[in-house]
Amino acid sequence: MGLGLLASRALRSSRIIRNSTRTIVSTPELKNADAAAAAAAADAPSDLPKRNPVGGARVHIPNPDDVIEVFVDGYPVKIPKGMTVLQACEIAGVDIPRFCYHSRLSIAGNCRMCLVEVEKSPKPVASCAMPALPGMKIKTDTPIAKKAREGVMEFLLMNHPLDCPICDQGGECDLQDQSMAFGSDRGRFTEMKRSVVDKNLGPLVKTVMTRCIQCTRCVRFASEVAGVEDLGMLGRGSGEEIGTYVEKLMTSELSGNVIDICPVGALTSKPFAFKARNWELKGTESIDVTDAVGSNIRIDSRGPEVMRVVPRLNEDINEEWISDKTRFFYDGLKRQRLNDPMIRGADGRFQAVSWRDALAIVAEVMHQIKPEEIVGVAGKLSDAESMMALKDLLNKMGSNNIFCEGNGMRPNADLRSGYIMNTSISGLEKADAFLLVGTQPRVEAAMVNARIRKTVKATNAKVGYVGPAADFNYDHEHLGTDPQTLVEIAKGSHPFSSALKNAKNPVIIVGAGVFDRDDKDAVFAAVDTIAKNNNVVRPDWNGLNVLLLNAAQAAALDLGLVPESDKCIDSAKFVYLMGADDVNLDKLPDDAFVVYQGHHGDRGVYRANVILPASAFTEKEGIYENTEGCAQITLPAVPTVGDARDDWKIVRALSEVAGVGLPYDSLGAIRSRIKTVAPNLLEVDERQPATFSTSLRPEVSQKVSATPFTPAVENFYMTDAITRASKIMAQCSALLKK
Amino acid sequence: MSQILKSLKVPPNSASLEEARTRTFEFFRMCCRSIPHVMEIYNLHDVVSPSQLRSAAAAEVRKNANVTNPKVIDMLLFKGMEELMNIVNQSKQRHHIVGQYVVGNQGLVQDVSGKDRDASNFLKKFYSSNYS
Repeated sequence: MGLGLLASRALRSSRIIRNSTRTIVSTPELKNADAAAAAAAADAPSDLPKRNPVGGARVHIPNPDDVIEVFVDGYPVKIPKGMTVLQACEIAGVDIPRFCYHSRLSIAGNCRMCLVEVEKSPKPVASCAMPALPGMKIKTDTPIAKKAREGVMEFLLMNHPLDCPICDQGGECDLQDQSMAFGSDRGRFTEMKRSVVDKNLGPLVKTVMTRCIQCTRCVRFASEVAGVEDLGMLGRGSGEEIGTYVEKLMTSELSGNVIDICPVGALTSKPFAFKARNWELKGTESIDVTDAVGSNIRIDSRGPEVMRVVPRLNEDINEEWISDKTRFFYDGLKRQRLNDPMIRGADGRFQAVSWRDALAIVAEVMHQIKPEEIVGVAGKLSDAESMMALKDLLNKMGSNNIFCEGNGMRPNADLRSGYIMNTSISGLEKADAFLLVGTQPRVEAAMVNARIRKTVKATNAKVGYVGPAADFNYDHEHLGTDPQTLVEIAKGSHPFSSALKNAKNPVIIVGAGVFDRDDKDAVFAAVDTIAKNNNVVRPDWNGLNVLLLNAAQAAALDLGLVPESDKCIDSAKFVYLMGADDVNLDKLPDDAFVVYQGHHGDRGVYRANVILPASAFTEKEGIYENTEGCAQITLPAVPTVGDARDDWKIVRALSEVAGVGLPYDSLGAIRSRIKTVAPNLLEVDERQPATFSTSLRPEVSQKVSATPFTPAVENFYMTDAITRASKIMAQCSALLKK
Repeated sequence: MSQILKSLKVPPNSASLEEARTRTFEFFRMCCRSIPHVMEIYNLHDVVSPSQLRSAAAAEVRKNANVTNPKVIDMLLFKGMEELMNIVNQSKQRHHIVGQYVVGNQGLVQDVSGKDRDASNFLKKFYSSNYS
């Protein structure tokens, strides 16, 4: 069948329809828009069922004067000016099929799947690119629109391989779903399909470029959100293909997100390839703990195995993206796991013992040691419950030397505003000048960096950076490498201080790497002075932030995990490491007894005398507070490995064996204990801002040193015990780390 | 097959509780008499003694000590006889006997030390599993 015949058929059929059901649009009285609107309002049956926006979305109308009314399938809907036809349809509760349109990316309008009929327009219009106009009558369910979709589907499937049975996207593929919903039951294409050479995008993203439908979502994502100009469109017409221009890996910390936004199976997850089908997986809504952002994730598991990690929508924290570390570290959960309690024998080898024996030995040793020589260290991945239990246990034993690694030995937990992100992550979008002090957000908190980049792109905010040479994916000014620069900015003698002064909503972000510096009080004092001089903290705006590194840090400071003496490790005889692998034990006396409670055989185990296996965050319920002070809960997705137990249960059991029983037996009970210490930790999923600002801090006489700031995170892909055990993260570090 | 079925007779119901009681004792004696044979065919000499098996059988009977309805007792006797026949005919395997009558309800892991007799419920649960 030739194209001409096809076209004439299409014309003929549509003409018939036009004569029977559609009103003729060139009627003179309908040329008047007001009259048309009135006529439509009169036409619209008043008993139309109430429709709700797609996905329960709410419309925010900034200016009530800018409201226009359009009609979607005869149903009137009020929308703010400037919205597209597609958005108007979504608010009216009609989901328009689309491939290239994505609400967080720029509009391309090249897939043509979103064609709808608009009255008085001669052709169907691409709704994603067409601005909605007052009184517009949009029809999404007419024969013309359906025919247009069917035609587009046929063209898209012309070159798309029919390999769904071996495609990893099968079951969650937009093209598959939409061809079932809108496509024709047969195609008219008999020639050979086009084939495209696969590109190597690195160890994370697998490409099958023949499946690509050229929606360019990945290209737009890479250049707009990730900030790397790695991907692009090559060739024209039927030779069009997506690729890196030269042979090159995609070096972005957000590259995994192209897997989610790809509507077909062209970009899929390499580690997940051929591992499972999405309908076999059980999804558990949980929280990421590999950095302090607390990205919302869904853990997809099959039986006892975590199969993949995908993002969950949370506008305030991670929008709908997650970093590559969050997405791909999960294979570390299967390697190097501790599964039995173990005691180190006289020959230096570990021997598996029962829980009863292990706890008895720990309790016995603990009682032989002077209380002030007992030290507890909470690890990067500890949840609030276990830290509470450990602190209570140590306090009952008479020791107050407990801290969380990453917070330094002299943490200041008095003012909550002194260690959380007061602006909130989504609040960063309002800022128009940034001063980053000793922090490289790109490696420390990739999602926060994405937010800063979004702001810089949208408002041309100025970014000043004080710290070691670092990689940024937006325009920035490198002001200096040591704290002296801060003093200059505080005095106003530095050129960047005028930029801060002129900014309406200035933001200062101090990295948590500063906590480990000897002159940290002086650095914070200098930052406070800058904040005071530039009006950073006002009643309506708090731009003074600390960007934390680890998931446990904020909760640890909220619970008051502050050591009595900053030299406690040097004189310790008994050290309880609760998942702490990065604490420096060089100065620990050789005869000290070290208990390691954790889920991975990592650095802490090398020095340990007793190992108590605990469950990882995918296996337990626990409260984590992220860097902006929002408490969130992880949920168990898979069972624990071997004979491991939940962290707080181990501490609780040890307390009983040691004869200093803690008064809680259940999660509920331990949470009510937390409530008496830090009630904000129980306000789950709701950010609790700090009450007092840091201006209440006492004067500091310390002087800043000339030691340059050091990078807090050396390798983005390997920051904790789980990521260090992951094979994929090791590959990424080898290939992508610059 | 049909020959066997014809010869198989179901005894009439017990008329009174007294009759049911006698039958129960008869059944228990039958169990006790078969114990040496059972020990032999399942090779149980190194795991259990005849007296232990006897008390296991007695415990099974005593489980239903409160039943007074003769019809129910007849039914339970029938089931018991069925179980006994299964054992004697070696329709079961050794691990069935060991699991049901030697190890019993306490499970394979038995704490005989009595070390944490005064431990709290939490600790006992903690030692057995992560999940309550």
